[in-house]
Amino acid sequence: MKIHFRLNGSDIAIETDPCRRVVDILREDLGLTGTKESCGSGECGACTILVDGESRLSCLMVAGQISGRKITTIEGLVSQGEMHPVQKAFVDHGAVQCGFCTPGMVLAAVDLLRRNPHPGRQEIRRGLSGNICRCTGYQKIVDAVEAASRDTGDKE
Amino acid sequence: MKKEFILPKTLEELWEARAVHPRGALLAGGTDLLVRIRAGRADSQALISLDRIPDLRGISTGDGEIFIGPATTHQQLLDDYSVQKHLPLLRQSVEVLGSPQVRHMGTLGGNICTASPAGDTLPALYVLGARLDLRSPQGCRTVPIKEFIEGPGKTVLRKDEILSGIRVPMPDPGFRAGYHKVGQRKAMAIAVVSMACQVWINDHGTVGRIRLGWGSVGPTVKTLPEVEKFLEGRPLSLEVLREAGQMVSKGVTPIDDVRAGAAYRRLVAGRILLRLLDLLRKEVF
Amino acid sequence: MENQIPVIGRSQPRFDAKAKVSGTERYAADYYPPGMLWGAVKYSDHAHARLKKVDTSGAKEVPGVVAVLTCEDVAGANRVGIPPRPDQPVLADEKVRHRGDPVALVLAESKEALAAALDLISIDYEVLPAVFDSQEALMPGAPLVHSENENNILHKGKILKGSAKEALKECAAVVEATFRLPRQEHAYLETEAGVAWVEEDGTLVMIVSTQTPHRDRMEVAHALGLPPGRVRIMAPYLGGGFGGKDGISVQCFLGLGALHSGGRPVKIWNSREDSFLSSTKRHPATVTIKLGCGADGALQALCCRLFLDTGAYASLGGPVLTLALEHAGGVYRIPHVDIEGYCVYTNNPVSGAFRGFGATQALAALEQAVDMLAVKAGLDPLVFRLKNALRRGEESACGPLRTYSTGIASCLKTIMDHPLWLEVRSWEKDAPPFKRRGVGVAAVLQGVGYGPVVPDYANAKIELLEDGRIRVYSGVTDMGQGNASTYLQIAGDILSQRFGDMEAVQPDTARTLPSGSSSASRTTFTYGNALIKAAGLLRERILQRASLMLMGAAYTELALLPGRVRHIPSGRDLPLGLIASMLDSSEKVCVYSYVAPVARDIAGIDENFRNMGYPHLIFSYGAHLARIEIDEITGEVTVKSYLACTDAGRVLNPQAYEQQVHGGIVQSLGYTLFEDFQVQKGEILTTGLATYILPTAVDVPDLLSIAVQEEEENGPYGMKGLGEVCANATFPAVANAAARAAGRRIFEGPLTAERILEVLAEEHKGE
Repeated sequence: MKIHFRLNGSDIAIETDPCRRVVDILREDLGLTGTKESCGSGECGACTILVDGESRLSCLMVAGQISGRKITTIEGLVSQGEMHPVQKAFVDHGAVQCGFCTPGMVLAAVDLLRRNPHPGRQEIRRGLSGNICRCTGYQKIVDAVEAASRDTGDKE
Repeated sequence: MKKEFILPKTLEELWEARAVHPRGALLAGGTDLLVRIRAGRADSQALISLDRIPDLRGISTGDGEIFIGPATTHQQLLDDYSVQKHLPLLRQSVEVLGSPQVRHMGTLGGNICTASPAGDTLPALYVLGARLDLRSPQGCRTVPIKEFIEGPGKTVLRKDEILSGIRVPMPDPGFRAGYHKVGQRKAMAIAVVSMACQVWINDHGTVGRIRLGWGSVGPTVKTLPEVEKFLEGRPLSLEVLREAGQMVSKGVTPIDDVRAGAAYRRLVAGRILLRLLDLLRKEVF
Repeated sequence: MENQIPVIGRSQPRFDAKAKVSGTERYAADYYPPGMLWGAVKYSDHAHARLKKVDTSGAKEVPGVVAVLTCEDVAGANRVGIPPRPDQPVLADEKVRHRGDPVALVLAESKEALAAALDLISIDYEVLPAVFDSQEALMPGAPLVHSENENNILHKGKILKGSAKEALKECAAVVEATFRLPRQEHAYLETEAGVAWVEEDGTLVMIVSTQTPHRDRMEVAHALGLPPGRVRIMAPYLGGGFGGKDGISVQCFLGLGALHSGGRPVKIWNSREDSFLSSTKRHPATVTIKLGCGADGALQALCCRLFLDTGAYASLGGPVLTLALEHAGGVYRIPHVDIEGYCVYTNNPVSGAFRGFGATQALAALEQAVDMLAVKAGLDPLVFRLKNALRRGEESACGPLRTYSTGIASCLKTIMDHPLWLEVRSWEKDAPPFKRRGVGVAAVLQGVGYGPVVPDYANAKIELLEDGRIRVYSGVTDMGQGNASTYLQIAGDILSQRFGDMEAVQPDTARTLPSGSSSASRTTFTYGNALIKAAGLLRERILQRASLMLMGAAYTELALLPGRVRHIPSGRDLPLGLIASMLDSSEKVCVYSYVAPVARDIAGIDENFRNMGYPHLIFSYGAHLARIEIDEITGEVTVKSYLACTDAGRVLNPQAYEQQVHGGIVQSLGYTLFEDFQVQKGEILTTGLATYILPTAVDVPDLLSIAVQEEEENGPYGMKGLGEVCANATFPAVANAAARAAGRRIFEGPLTAERILEVLAEEHKGE
C-alpha cells in the first residue's frame, strides 16, 4: 500500500505494509534512527514523535494511521543546522546523559511548551511523565525545559 | 501472514470493511490493541481504523446530556469546555490516565471497550450513569454502561456492532466530584485501587445524594448502593467515613496480582473514602 | 561551548550532547547494515531441566529463515564468564539452569520469519528439581545448579577482626535485624543490541552495546573458537549500562550468527521482554546484622551474615560478594567485626554487576541497623555517625588503614549544618492531615577501582592529526556517564584546545588500547590519570617541534593556543597542522600506561578473597538526607526533599558531577520504593515496563547536591570515582525516614505502599 504523509516538512510517499509499526518504518526504511525504541509497549516514551504537532508513540502506531498526517521526528527539529530552542537548552543545561531517552523527551517537551508555554516545574514533570529516563534523575531535564520556556517567553 | 489495513471514512465504509473482514479488529487509539497484538494476546486478519470517521468523533451537548463520539481522544476530552464544566469527574479520571502520549492517542470508546477492571474512565462513567449507543448496519440500541461491561475484556457488543456514542447525563448542579487513584507510582500508573465520587451536600451539611464507583477491586467497576444509602443523610465526618469504609472493604472483591495483594486493595478501597474530607473544601459545580 | 578551551572545575556542556539531542548519534541499536539478517534467541521453557532433544527442523522450514543454530554449532568452549568460573554456555548444552538460558539462535530475513521460527523450535526436556532461594540452596540435599559444584556456593568470604561475639556481650546497646533487599533490573533504555559481520580476511567484527569491549574480545574468541586477534569489537556510546552490560550479553550470539550467515551481517536487538529475561540483575540479598556500641556511643562490634542469590551462573557474583563484605562495616571504626557471606547459585535469573556492586545491599542493611542502634542508645543519628566516622589514618571496620582522602566526617557535618536538618523536628510536626513525616540519613562509601590483584590499568592514546586537530582514543566505554567528554576536557586543558578542535574515538579493539571496563568507579580515575600523562607528552612534542621550526626558541617563549603555537616575543603563529607535518608518524601519537595504586594489606586475608578484589585503597564517601511523607490512607511515600553530600574528591565538571549524583539517587529511589523484579519459582512475573515500575519525573523531587571537595592525591586533578557512591545511601536514608514516620521499620524492600500500610495497620491492632 502506498502511504502519503508529510515528514519533517517534506511530502513523501512510501510503499509499505500498512500494518508495520511507524517506529520500524522510520528507523529501518527511512534511516531516521533518532527515534528510539525501548519497551515496544507504550510504557517509556522513547519512540515519541509528533503527529500534527501532538506527541504520540510510534511503537503503538501502524503505517496506515499516518496517511495524510504531518510527522515530526527529532531529526526534523533541527532546521538549517540550527537546533530547536528545546534542544539547545537540553545541551546547555546538562539534560543529556546516555541520550537514548533524549529524542523522545525533547519531542514531549516541545509538545508540552506548545500547549503551555510557561509551565511550572511540577507541570513540566507532569508533561514529561510519559518518558522514562534512567540516567539523569530528571532534574536537569526539568531545568532545560524551564530554561527553554523562558527563552521562548523572551521572544514573545 | 500479512494483515489488511482499512481506513474507512464513513460508517457505510466501516460496515463494508467489517463485512469483508469479519475477524478484523477495530483500531481506535491503538494503545491497548497494539500492545496485545505484540504480546500475542490478540489475533486479527485486519486492522480497521476508526480514526477518520467524523461521525465517531466530537462532543456535543443537548437534551440534558453530553454526547461523546467514541473515537474522541482523552486529550480532546480534557480540552473540551462542556466536559470541564459539566463532567469534572470524567475530566479528573482522564487527567491521570496513562501518560500524555497515551492521552493524545487513546480514545474514550477504547477505554470502555477494553473493559479493563483498572480502566480509569470506567468508575467515573458508572457514577455518571453513562449510556452507550451500540450501532450495527441494522440499527442502534442504547444500554447503560453497567450492563455493557460483563467482565475483564468482556462486553455485550455483538460481532456486527460498534460502540457509536457515549451519552452522559448532565449532573444536577451543586455537586462536588473526585477521582482518587492509587497506583504503584504517581504517573503512568495502572490503578491498584481507584474510586470515583460525585456528591451533593445539603445546606445543613449532610449528604443529599452520593454516587460512588471503585476500580480494580473486582472484575468490573464496583458500585455499593448500601454504602451510598448509608452515607445519604449523614455528614461526611471522619467517624461516618470510617464506618462506611469498613462496609466498602467488606463489599469489594479484589484479587492478588503482580501489582498488589487483595488484602491491600480491600483495605485501601475503604480507607480511600477518607479522601472525601478533602472534597468538602473543593469547588462546587 | 565548541569555541572555548575547557577549564577543569567549571561547569560545561558535554561534548556528546549535541549529536545525541539531534538524533544523529549512532548507538549499537542504530546500525542496519545492507543485506543484514535478524537474529534472536529461543530461551528455555524451564528453570532447571536436562536437554534431551532440540528439534529445529520445523523452524528451518519457515520461509526466510537462514539458520537455526544450537550448541552443536559452537566451535569453541561454548562458555563465557570470568575466571575462575567461566560457567555460562553460549547456547545451552547439557542442561538449562534458568528461564533465561538460551537454547537456540535463529537467523532470518525478517522479524516476522524470526518470530514464526522461534515458535516452531521444539525442545524435549527432562525437568529437574530446582532451587529458588539462596539459603535453601545451601541446605544439604538441595538440588545442584551445577552438578560439579557440590554445595551451590559460588563464592564465600569472611572478614574477622578482634572477637565480635564476645565484644557484643559487653556492649551497652545492641540491635539485631535481618534485612531483605530486592532484585533490581538495570532497565537501561537501550536493550542489548549489536551488529556483526565477518571481514574478507576472516576477522569477526562487531559493533555492540558493551561496557567491556576488550574483555569481550577474549571471551568471544574463547567461546566461539577464534584467535583473539581475529575478533574486533567496537563499543559506541551506550544507551545506558549501570553494570548490566559489564560482560557478555548478545556478543556471542552476534559472533555465532555472523559465522553462519553466509557472509551476511547479523543484527540482534533484544526486545524489552527478552532483555528482562536474559540480562543480569542486582543480587537479591539477605543481610543479618548484630551491632553494638558502648555506653559512650562508640561502636564496638559488628556481626554480619550476608547471602546473595547469584542465580544460575557466576557472572561477577564473586567480586560482588567480596565488595558487599568489604563495605559491610560502612564508614566506621569498629574494633571487633565478624562478617561472613555466601554467594549462592539458584535457578533464578543471573545476578551480576550493578552500580554499587554489592556495597549497595550491604550498606542498605548496615545503615538501617545504625539508626536502630542510635534510637536504642538514645543518640542523635547524625551525632552518632559522626562520632564513629573514620578519619584519614584510622583503621576501618574491615581492617585496612585509610591512608588517603577520607571525607565522610565533612559530609556528615555539612548535613548537620544544613537547614533541611536543622529545621527537621518542626517540619515533621507540621504534617498535614492523614500524612506522617519523617527524616532519615545514611552514610556510605564505595571503593574505587578493581582492588589489589586484577591490574587496574588504562592505556591512554592521543594523536595530533594532519589538520592540527586533537584526537583522543578512549579505551573505556561511555555508557552515559560522560567520561569521553571528560577526557576531552582533560586533553583540552592540557593542550589548550577547544572542544571544537578535538574529537574522541569510542572504544574499538582495533584502534583504542585496552583500558579495563567501564565500571568500578574507575573510568575517569584510571583513564584520566593515563591521559594527563599522554597529553603532557604530546604537548612536549608539539612544543619541541615548534621550537625547532623557530630555530631553537625556548619553550618559555612558546604558548600552545587553540589550533596553533605562538612564539610570544615575535607574535608569530605556527598552525598545529604545520607542526603535525613536521612530526614523524611515530611521534604524532602519544600513549601512556597508568596503573592505579592498590592496597598492600595481606595479613590474614584469604588469597581467593584478595583475587576477588579485597581490599580497596581509595574510597569515595557520601552522606544523604531524605525528608519523606507517608500517606496514612494508602501507604504511599512521597520524597519531599533530598540532600546529598559527596566526597568524590575535586570536581572536574560540576554539571557532569550533578548528573551522576541526581541519576544515582533516582535510580536508587526506584530501588527503594518501587522496583522489585519479581520471580516466582524461576518464572519472571514482572516481564516488562508495565509491571516493573521505574520512577517517572513526578515521582521524585528536586535534589540538592553538595560536593565536599577533599583532594585525593592519587586522582586526576584530585578527583575520585563518583558513579556508584551516589547510589548507595538512598535506600537506607529513605528507609530510616520511613521508620521514623511510620513508627515501625519495614525489613523487606522495596518500601511499597502496600508494605507501609501493613505496618501502619499493625500499629492500630496494638491500640
